Amino acid sequence: MNKADRISGIFWLIFSGFICIESYRLGLGSLHQPGPGFLFFWNAAAMGILSAAVIVRAWTGRKTEEPEKAVFGKENALKIILVLLALFLYAFFMETLGFILITLLLFIFLLALIEKKRWGFAVLVSLAVTAVSYLVFEIWLKSQLPKGILESLRF
Amino acid sequence: METIHSLLYGFQVALQPANLMYCFFGVLIGTLVGVLPGLGPASAIAILLPATFKVTPVSSFIMLAGIYYGAMYGGSTTSILVNIPGEAASVVTCFDGYQMALKGRAGSALGIAAFGSFIAGTFAVIALTFVAPPLAGMALKFGPPEYFSMMVVGILLLTYLSSGSMIKALIMAGFGLILSGVGMDTIGGEFRFTYGIRMLLDGIPMVPTVMGLFGISEVLLNLETEIRRDLLESRVKNLLPTLKDWGDSIWSVIRGTVLGFFLGIIPGGGAVIASFASYAIEKKISKHPEEFGKGAIQGVAGPEAANNAAAGGAFIPLLTLGIPANPVVAVLLGSLIIHGLQPGPMLLSKAPDVFWGTIVSMYIGNAMLLVLNLPLIPLWIQVLKVPYFLLYPLIFLFCLVGSYSIENNVGDVIIMLIFGIVGYLMKKFRYEGAPLVLALVLGKMLETTLRQSLILSRGEFSIFIFRPISLAFLIVAAFLLIIPIVTQRKKLSTLEE
Repeated sequence: MNKADRISGIFWLIFSGFICIESYRLGLGSLHQPGPGFLFFWNAAAMGILSAAVIVRAWTGRKTEEPEKAVFGKENALKIILVLLALFLYAFFMETLGFILITLLLFIFLLALIEKKRWGFAVLVSLAVTAVSYLVFEIWLKSQLPKGILESLRF
Repeated sequence: METIHSLLYGFQVALQPANLMYCFFGVLIGTLVGVLPGLGPASAIAILLPATFKVTPVSSFIMLAGIYYGAMYGGSTTSILVNIPGEAASVVTCFDGYQMALKGRAGSALGIAAFGSFIAGTFAVIALTFVAPPLAGMALKFGPPEYFSMMVVGILLLTYLSSGSMIKALIMAGFGLILSGVGMDTIGGEFRFTYGIRMLLDGIPMVPTVMGLFGISEVLLNLETEIRRDLLESRVKNLLPTLKDWGDSIWSVIRGTVLGFFLGIIPGGGAVIASFASYAIEKKISKHPEEFGKGAIQGVAGPEAANNAAAGGAFIPLLTLGIPANPVVAVLLGSLIIHGLQPGPMLLSKAPDVFWGTIVSMYIGNAMLLVLNLPLIPLWIQVLKVPYFLLYPLIFLFCLVGSYSIENNVGDVIIMLIFGIVGYLMKKFRYEGAPLVLALVLGKMLETTLRQSLILSRGEFSIFIFRPISLAFLIVAAFLLIIPIVTQRKKLSTLEE
């Protein structure tokens, strides 16, 4: 984990430096009357020291005989990116398109395109999941899910 | 005598048909959540939270609490039969539970897990009954310095007990503390770290953060590795442990129960740590440590008892001090606040029905779990046969709907997804999520009590030392920081030799 620790240590060092500056801007106040940035300034300063310790340990730590494994494997990386993209699109469009339509599209995408199941199967399962989840969340649990463009249908 | 009287009142509340029904649903859903890998009790409670808005606070809390301790029972089933932990507290159960199953002893493993869980769960509730009221009385004497010192100990303890590097765990706690500061400063009223982003004005919401860090990130990680589930196809029989099984494991159950209960009480402890600690102890004191990992029944009985006792113990700081001991209890705390109740020392006097009704419902819930769990194992096996390509989109859907339903806000969904990525990266770089969440949960209270203490003492830090309870907490905190340094030095010196 030496390389990974170096990367993460540097990230946290920069992050804590940024928080120190931001907290200082917010105002540290005094010990009698601590300001809004007081706790976060000292907390970030401590984080800075700790991240420096992570970097130093990663640099001075003993090297293992085994070759270091890459933090991110290449296999399935595209799958993860596509799934995340689909989830973000779900969030962005759930109020415009409505729960029913967006859920149906998400499941068809995941099953047909990501999992490469047959289209007929994917559409059928997606329809079933959407219908059951609508009944469970909207009708039974009364979750008030967004209706989106289907609102005019009033069901 | 007063406790007995209160207990009877608790039975009066918990035995109402509606509350019995909510208790039943809670433990049933909890078991299902425990069985399903990737969906934890925190996410499940968050998803079902909106459904409880229209019922009474006591019914709501009975059901949500049932999900929590029910999940502890369910987790073992998946660990034993599929070698995948249903939830984090059952990771250890895989080591020996699955090996027992391979040797044709799945029934014994499942049976001892269920009975051990029942014994531990019941012990924890009895202890909760008698410990909580005096502790709530004592907590009334706590001022800001005592609360501050106690929370510092909680966060440090979690970082100390974390399985990886303590330095990384401390960084995570620091990160959680910073996240807790996002939004409006409760004392001065100004906005901090929001940068004009509207969804940050109310702060980082806890439930979507937990769902992202533990739910979404776990599924993303599973997508990377393609889970192979080797479900045992043979019929599970002989679920009742034999006399020999009892003889081999009863002391493991007792040790696991006591250890789990105390680790559950301490903020930062919790079911996951309790199960690991119990396994380590069982292996250490066993006459045949070489059998561990190859199907030792003690390796199932101890950790399963420990995680259930810890789940019960975690209600003590929540109900008496208003402090969540772990992320799941933090979601439960949120549910009480949504219902207009303030968890803490005043809960006992202001809402005795919630306090005693919930405690008594846990006796009933534990009994329901024992009666339900063993006969329902064939059903859980069917649930586990659902292929992962179908299961993970469903988990995503639960998380998406759950995070949206809390406040009908898309911003919460986006925050959940962002923390899903953060959690995934943290797992890749070996940073633990639990210290982050605990610090996020306690952060606001920690900051307020620190600032209040300093205002009270006119800037003198000695206020934390001159008050005996606070001093005691700080001594523990100092030990937690010093021990790793000393042990590290020892390790280094032995290496040099």
